[in-house]
Amino acid sequence: MVVFLIFKVYPVILAVIMSFQNFQGVQSQEWVGLTNYQNVFNLVRFNQALANTTIYTIGTLLILIPLPLVLAVLLDSGRVVQSTVFRTLIFLPALTSLVVAGTVFRLILAEDGFLNLFLTSLFGVQPLRWLEVSDLALPSLILVATWRWTGINILYFNSGLVNISKDLYEAAVIDGASAFQMFWRITLPLLRPTTLFVVVLSIIGGYQVFVEPFILYTGGGGPGDGGLTMALLIYRTAFTSFNFGTAAAMGVILAAIIFVFSLIQFRYFGVFSKED
Amino acid sequence: MNKRISLLLLIAILLGSLGVSAVSAQDATDLSLWVFVDRHGLFMQNQAARWNEVNPDRPINLTYEQIDYTQMHDNLLASLLVGMGAPDLADIEISKFATFTKGDIQLIELDDAIEPYRGDIIETRLAPYVANGHNYGIDYHLGSFVMYYNTGILSAAGVDVDSIRTWDDYIEAGKKVTQDTNGDGTPDVYMASVETSGVMTARGIMLMMGGGAYDAEGNLILNSEANVKALQFVQDLVHVHGIARPTSGGEHHSPDHFLDLVEGRIASLWMPQWYMTRFPDNMSSQLAAVEVIRPMPIFEEGGYTTTMGGGTGTAITNQIDPSKIELAKEFLAFAKLTYEANVALWTDLGFDPMRVDVYDDPALLITMDDFSGEVPFEYIKAGLANVAPEYTGPYYPEIATIMQTTMMYELIENKKSPQEVLDAAIAELQAMGADVGG
Repeated sequence: MVVFLIFKVYPVILAVIMSFQNFQGVQSQEWVGLTNYQNVFNLVRFNQALANTTIYTIGTLLILIPLPLVLAVLLDSGRVVQSTVFRTLIFLPALTSLVVAGTVFRLILAEDGFLNLFLTSLFGVQPLRWLEVSDLALPSLILVATWRWTGINILYFNSGLVNISKDLYEAAVIDGASAFQMFWRITLPLLRPTTLFVVVLSIIGGYQVFVEPFILYTGGGGPGDGGLTMALLIYRTAFTSFNFGTAAAMGVILAAIIFVFSLIQFRYFGVFSKED
Repeated sequence: MNKRISLLLLIAILLGSLGVSAVSAQDATDLSLWVFVDRHGLFMQNQAARWNEVNPDRPINLTYEQIDYTQMHDNLLASLLVGMGAPDLADIEISKFATFTKGDIQLIELDDAIEPYRGDIIETRLAPYVANGHNYGIDYHLGSFVMYYNTGILSAAGVDVDSIRTWDDYIEAGKKVTQDTNGDGTPDVYMASVETSGVMTARGIMLMMGGGAYDAEGNLILNSEANVKALQFVQDLVHVHGIARPTSGGEHHSPDHFLDLVEGRIASLWMPQWYMTRFPDNMSSQLAAVEVIRPMPIFEEGGYTTTMGGGTGTAITNQIDPSKIELAKEFLAFAKLTYEANVALWTDLGFDPMRVDVYDDPALLITMDDFSGEVPFEYIKAGLANVAPEYTGPYYPEIATIMQTTMMYELIENKKSPQEVLDAAIAELQAMGADVGG
């Protein structure tokens, strides 16, 4: 409890306090009211970072919910060989050090890298400059996220699937339901709590994304800051500009965004399930 | 009895000698140092050994810790902020230095320690580490810009490397060198590469044209006429003359770019002298037979012949024990500014020294296998006739970030005008609170 208070609660309170102080460099801090919050909205990059982070989060949601869900159902259906090696392989990316992953992805995404080789030989696409063009920064980051989180999300969905009684499927089969109907009418509704959990986690993770762009673009936001995220901008404001006040204000805004999104999720899903 | 006495004597002597060594170890002043490049730490330790030879009465015991670049700077900032945990001495990279001089400066002034050496060094090299008129850091090198040429590509195109003296010559040569060898309509070999997420290509030209981030008086001059001209020049190399391409991977340390160099797709590039170490370290000396170093081309007779790029200043933090301050300052100046230290900068680290009087030392004028068996220092020296200074200021780190992230990208990839990208940078700095003048 003490540890929790010192390492979790105290920094949060301190950050909120700092967001109302002029905290640039090492000097005595003074109260400045909402100036830091005004500064945040004046920062040229803030809107860009917010937009990038939102697009990234939506992108990860669009891929990291359906893809692991379908894969989990496939795994659960018993039609795929489920060896321990296979399961470990799926889970491995989450355990890999992001520093190593970043380096490997720099090679994969290079102009003559594996991804271009794959796209060119399969679809005849001209080689893309993944790491050099601003518009490709977010797709590159989403690609890294897909690699990293698919396994974990499969695991979440899998544990949800285990809890669905097999009797329901047997009854459905007797009633002549197709595989798709069973998926749509049984699996999906009963997996709702798990899905909600994964969605909320993905939103939180999406808005907090930091390490992936940090490693992929060696400390920066990528070409033209196309991969600049909120967390990176907070870091940059604190540790490059040494302006902890404005950085803290940005942190509070980010926390508020995540909080609101999570709240909406819970309410929406809550109401939805009551109607059901 | 005698035996017992001699045994006691022996023990006494042994204890005595132990005591003596314990005392001398105690006498040595412990100094801690944080570095982000291991070679810097080794260099400083060698210098400490040399100090101990010259000053046996005031020995130093220097221990260093190497921490990753970003983490080291962040840790240092955090320790200075909370007032504990910082080392006695620390390396601070040039583009991070201004971050450390915001608010109440937590570093020790070095003015009086540097004073005795001021006449011997290229003084503008101290400028990046000056805040409020005081020196807070001493660099490891001059970091003068030089041109790296692949003579294999040049000769194949019929260009003699020594015929390039001015930038006009360079562009002319570039037109011969830049070629579409496989006939697909786009060149495969370019004369130069221009960084879109690195600062060196543009900064070198900006400074040589008399621009840069700040002037000697500390005014922000980012959108000056000189910088507009410099960025126009860089943009034209790519889009008008067609002799340069955006660097693969965006900057000159990307693995893609090293591959371009090794495979002969880029004939030349301008980078500071310390980039020499990348040829053996990152390209396994694969270009040893063809790579040469030459002075930067010049824009006009009597103009700047080169400038300085990058750097790392060693500073003393205010968390050092007050009784050690004088010794640490004296040692720091000794380790970086004495004649012997400057020779060692070349022999140990491979960096061009900032003392002018060592440039004729035989230790520097050696042939190097990695550069076609030539004597690279001859050419480095030849370029030092008129070094353009670089001044920094409070928003230097932010300017570096803007150049790295959007400015060069917009200029080269999106073909925005130099005035437009510089004005955008100024607007951004203003929003951060920078005093942009007029």
